[in-house]
Amino acid sequence: MIRLEKVSYSYPDGTPALENINLAIKKGEFIAIIGKNGSGKSTLALHLNGLLKPQKGKVIIRGMDTRDISKLPGIRKLVGIVFQNPETQFVGRTVEEDLAFGPENLCLPPVEIRKCVDMALAETGFEKYRYRSPKTLSGGQGQFVALAGILAMRPECLVFDEVTSMLDPDSGTDVLERIRKLQRKGKTVVYITHNLEELHAADRIIVMDKGRIVLEGDPESVFADPSLQSLGLTLPSLIELAARLKTCGVAIPWEKTSSPHSFAEEICQLFLKT
Amino acid sequence: MHEPVFSYVPGVSPLHKLDPRTKLVVVMLLGILAFRIENFAGIGALFILFFALTLLSRLPMTVFFRAVRPMMLFIIFIFLAQLFFSDGRPLATFWVLQPSMEGLENGLTLVSRFILLLLFAALLTASTDPSAITCGIERMLRPLPLQWLGISSFELATMMNISIAFLPLLFERVERTKAAQAARGMDFVKNPFHSVPALAIPLLRGVIRDAEELALAMESRGYQGKRRTSMHELSMQNRDWIALFVIVLFIIIVLNL
Repeated sequence: MIRLEKVSYSYPDGTPALENINLAIKKGEFIAIIGKNGSGKSTLALHLNGLLKPQKGKVIIRGMDTRDISKLPGIRKLVGIVFQNPETQFVGRTVEEDLAFGPENLCLPPVEIRKCVDMALAETGFEKYRYRSPKTLSGGQGQFVALAGILAMRPECLVFDEVTSMLDPDSGTDVLERIRKLQRKGKTVVYITHNLEELHAADRIIVMDKGRIVLEGDPESVFADPSLQSLGLTLPSLIELAARLKTCGVAIPWEKTSSPHSFAEEICQLFLKT
Repeated sequence: MHEPVFSYVPGVSPLHKLDPRTKLVVVMLLGILAFRIENFAGIGALFILFFALTLLSRLPMTVFFRAVRPMMLFIIFIFLAQLFFSDGRPLATFWVLQPSMEGLENGLTLVSRFILLLLFAALLTASTDPSAITCGIERMLRPLPLQWLGISSFELATMMNISIAFLPLLFERVERTKAAQAARGMDFVKNPFHSVPALAIPLLRGVIRDAEELALAMESRGYQGKRRTSMHELSMQNRDWIALFVIVLFIIIVLNL
């Protein structure tokens, strides 16, 4: 669905942000992009719907090149980005108006716009907030409204740029759960974070450092890679615990490291066996 | 908490149901009329029309008090200036000041005009959703050749909408910046001059960053500053034409009083 070919990009001051990135994202995939601050993950996200254009190489979304200005409305309809701060994503005075902003830009007729808004509200379970000001909502609720604003455009791919970093843990978990549901319904998800605790369910993890992809694979293989910690990334606590137990001869299967509950269950089973 | 001035009060009155363009045109016409008429009968007729429309709108009178209250000092000032500094038949003598009959008349006329403007504007904003107002303005500006100025009616409407939506965020940012500076020892009462740059510089930096993030989010949602549709479908109904006809008739009658 999305293809990046030899993409390079430098900031106006000459600092390289992306160097020779090659990446293919399949429809329905859940891809996580991780890396410490300044590794280039957000710059990569901005390339995925043409907000930034590559200085070298190209980004192709469903056959459309992001450098072709005439294709940008179509690209933005296909790929939506939810950003970190919900407050600076609101355009409307009420939730309903905010959700209508995207479909209005797509020049849909009023009846269609209302249908898109209703669908996005139903998808996020936010019907009761329709006439509320988005500014009066909590951080987690605000992020849901920002997500609904993108869903109202009916995109096929959703890019989340550190969407849980400004939220409390419970709200972050709710948002992440909703993202997983959307992926199960067939949306392609590109999830950018530096919190590795959130990535157990990803199909593939891309690790970035200094604008380059340095590691790529399924979560099990990426988390097992010894170079991860040298890149300044901290392993999820359960995975680190499982790795330490392994050195003591206690093997915890990968699927049991997804939650404290399943991990504890596995430990209990091992105790009972011995 | 302070109730905002000129805010929308949701409702289902006949006035709420009118097309925003009708209300905008009517307020503009009545505003011009208020500054055209010279006699008290005309001004009285405008006040009667305002009360009739208020009854029709079923809006509480507090909405209108709130609209006039912040301007009261200014209104009193222009009344006193007219009263004491207009030439004419003296009414009385207070030290060097001599209020005149003509000054009283001029003052009352001018003050009535300002109050009428504020009241009709409050009637418009209280009975019309702000986004419907911007939508109405956009539809009225659309035939104008604004592209010569390098802008479009869609851009103007979006700018107005965003300004309304972003005001609370701006106020919040001011409060947050003030609190952050106060936490570092800034005394805004003792050092008002010193505190201005301490408040303005981080505030400006924050607002520019917010604006950049907002621009990215808008562009990401397909905004290009070009033609866009609106969820608010505007169509002139019979009631709008009737309202316009009644107002035009009223204006003709008042001009001939």
